[in-house]
Amino acid sequence: MMPFLQVNQLHVRYDFSSNRDTLNAVNFELLEGESILLLGPSGCGKSTLTYCLNGLYPRELDGEMQGDVIINGKRTTDYRPGELAQHVGVVFQDPETQFCMLTVEDEVAFGLENIRIPKMKIAKKIDDALELVGLMPFKKATISSLSGGQKQKLALACILALEPKLLILDEPTANLDPMAAMELIETIRSIKVQTGCSLIIIEHQLDGWTELAERCVLLNNDGTIFYDGPLRGAINHKRPLLQKEGIWLPRVANYVLPYHNKTLPIPLTLSAFACQAEQYKPAYWDNNIMPKQTYKQALLVANQIAYSKRKKKIIQNVSINIYHGDFVAIIGSNGSGKTTLSRLLAGIEQPSEGSILLKNKQLASWQEKELRDNIGYVFQNPEHQFITDSVFEEVAYSLRLKELSDEVIKTKTMEMLDNCGLTNLKNHHPFHLSQGQKRRLSVATMLIDNQAMLILDEPTFGQDALSNRELMHLLSERHKTGTTIVMITHDMDLVYEHATRVIVMNQGEIAVNCEPEHLWAKSEKLLQQWQLTLPTPIQLKRCCERRGKNVSTPT
Amino acid sequence: MFLHQLNPSVKALTIVVTIILLALVFDPITPALLFVWTITLTFIGGQIHWKRYVLYLLPFSILSFGMLWTTLFVGAPSQNLENVIHLFGLSFSYEALLTALALALRVLSVAALSLLFIFTTDMVDFILSLNQQMRLSPKIAYGVLAGFRFLPMMKEEWQLLHAAHRIRGARGNGYNERWKHYKRFAIPLLASAIRKAERTAIAMESKGFTGDRNRTYYRQFNVKKQDGFFFLCMLITFLIACLISNQLGFLKIYPYHF
Repeated sequence: MMPFLQVNQLHVRYDFSSNRDTLNAVNFELLEGESILLLGPSGCGKSTLTYCLNGLYPRELDGEMQGDVIINGKRTTDYRPGELAQHVGVVFQDPETQFCMLTVEDEVAFGLENIRIPKMKIAKKIDDALELVGLMPFKKATISSLSGGQKQKLALACILALEPKLLILDEPTANLDPMAAMELIETIRSIKVQTGCSLIIIEHQLDGWTELAERCVLLNNDGTIFYDGPLRGAINHKRPLLQKEGIWLPRVANYVLPYHNKTLPIPLTLSAFACQAEQYKPAYWDNNIMPKQTYKQALLVANQIAYSKRKKKIIQNVSINIYHGDFVAIIGSNGSGKTTLSRLLAGIEQPSEGSILLKNKQLASWQEKELRDNIGYVFQNPEHQFITDSVFEEVAYSLRLKELSDEVIKTKTMEMLDNCGLTNLKNHHPFHLSQGQKRRLSVATMLIDNQAMLILDEPTFGQDALSNRELMHLLSERHKTGTTIVMITHDMDLVYEHATRVIVMNQGEIAVNCEPEHLWAKSEKLLQQWQLTLPTPIQLKRCCERRGKNVSTPT
Repeated sequence: MFLHQLNPSVKALTIVVTIILLALVFDPITPALLFVWTITLTFIGGQIHWKRYVLYLLPFSILSFGMLWTTLFVGAPSQNLENVIHLFGLSFSYEALLTALALALRVLSVAALSLLFIFTTDMVDFILSLNQQMRLSPKIAYGVLAGFRFLPMMKEEWQLLHAAHRIRGARGNGYNERWKHYKRFAIPLLASAIRKAERTAIAMESKGFTGDRNRTYYRQFNVKKQDGFFFLCMLITFLIACLISNQLGFLKIYPYHF
């Protein structure tokens, strides 16, 4: 059988990075109906490969492309522009920038008009596509009124309407919260069953995808494929490489590996783990890293604060104390008011009711400059915070504002750069750094002031495993020296590993404010209502315990 | 809802032609009649909310009154001392009054015509119709539509940048410092705008968009009889207005005036 897709010795080099190839001798094949996971660290050329596969490159490439991409027995360069859209469809990462029309219906129609489907047939095809992704009730809605998850489903519907044989998903869940991501994966699974199309899934986070595609293709930082085969094989034989390249393992596998019995297959999902749970002891995943905190002094006190925008209440009835040395995780579904709360606490927005005290003084009566010496805030997109033209100046900026001597600035800045692993890049422009480096730099610019409190808005979003590890290391080092950290996150494993306290937001109010252990003890129904899942280690532990009980009480 | 159902391109063309014709005559009666007619038509055929309409018309009214006032009193004093009018303790010549009224009513009339279009036309429909009837290139038409989604995003981005830089302590006092502060926004704002535009372009191309005119349309706009009727209707109204003005002895056609 001839493969549906063949990639032969593909090289891509951009004009702006003339000294290295972004893709380097890439070879692989894909059969019709087959699915693969394409994994690699950020910046390894995954997106470039996508553009090569859907025919955008070499047409739109500022650079050079060598080698062949053959789809359905014909080179991509031999297709007419636009024709390939009927064979290869791509869903991109950012849910905001994939649309050019204003309503759901028009957007799906757009693709069909492009490939000249007659008007009479378009209506039916729109309905079919929306039905597949479950957006039928939103047919007449404007796109801006949809949630992020719904937008990604719409992007999927637009592509499905064109009935491509190959569907490429370029990190489709990177900007979604865990619940929306799980829903999208579920949708894709049912589409795969119904249409039988081939899938190429490009992802950072593997969880949820492993059952859809067993075969994986791994790219390294040089843009070369270093493994092509089943995922389990990669975990068994290439683990050091995976770690070096910063590729995430499935979470279950990651936690099970240290205790894994070599004779059994590595469990990639919880259900796979359940089948061999009796091999493990629940005690493996006891969390004893966190020393119990004895709280003395409140650093920040929020009293009955509320915030509304355009007559809509976003935050209400919120009272919290944040103590010296806390590591607080704020969690909750999208739109529950996490970011707004964090901004109120940082003094970026003013509450419409209630008061916030920092060190027993009203937040509003602090001088802007002094306030910034006490509270640092790291935005979700690090680029927003960059002010100067070099990494060194970026870190030195707030020291210069304080008019310290050059000598002091230099030593302090170099020390900070060293801590963040950015010393070699000190003369680069901040915008030229990789995603993970940008994130670390934005944290460094805040840490240099030695603020008592640091607030971070989803600092680990869409990063590869390596950058994530480095960032969390940096933060926990800071925490040990007594800095109070408040972090918004979706990652329950991070909450489990680092937080001393957790705040669950639900519809603008605080649902729970307690120590993490107490949250895990809540009923599953409550957690589901707040759209939370349990951290992987807790899930593994519970699974073991259930098994243990079954074994010890034979009937 | 008659006006809403007209073909947007034909509607725009009709309005533009009427405005051009209006510019060729110079007297108070024609624009006054046309003004009344346009407003009547807007309310009968458009079913719009009068409060919103008044709000939109208000700035034009102020502009028009300003023109009336300046033409009456700022212009050169009239040589003709026979036809002096005294009103509210002010005095001005009859000719100056005619000129001032003609100018002011022309502004109002043009405003009413534009509002008729704006209040009864969906912008997306207009652009799609320009693409289908006026042969506007699909590249431009769909580009503009994609741009519609960008403006709110840019506003959000601007606010975010502002907050983010404030956190860094980058907020100067004094004009010089403030200017520097805003200048720093330029690069990140531009960078993200370009990136977003590029992503959108790639997504559009991935859906088979090539900018080719040869495409089908889900929302097909056609020119129907009612569109021709509307065009003629406006034209005839204009002619009747001119005739009445002529009968009353006011009409001046432009080339013969100055």
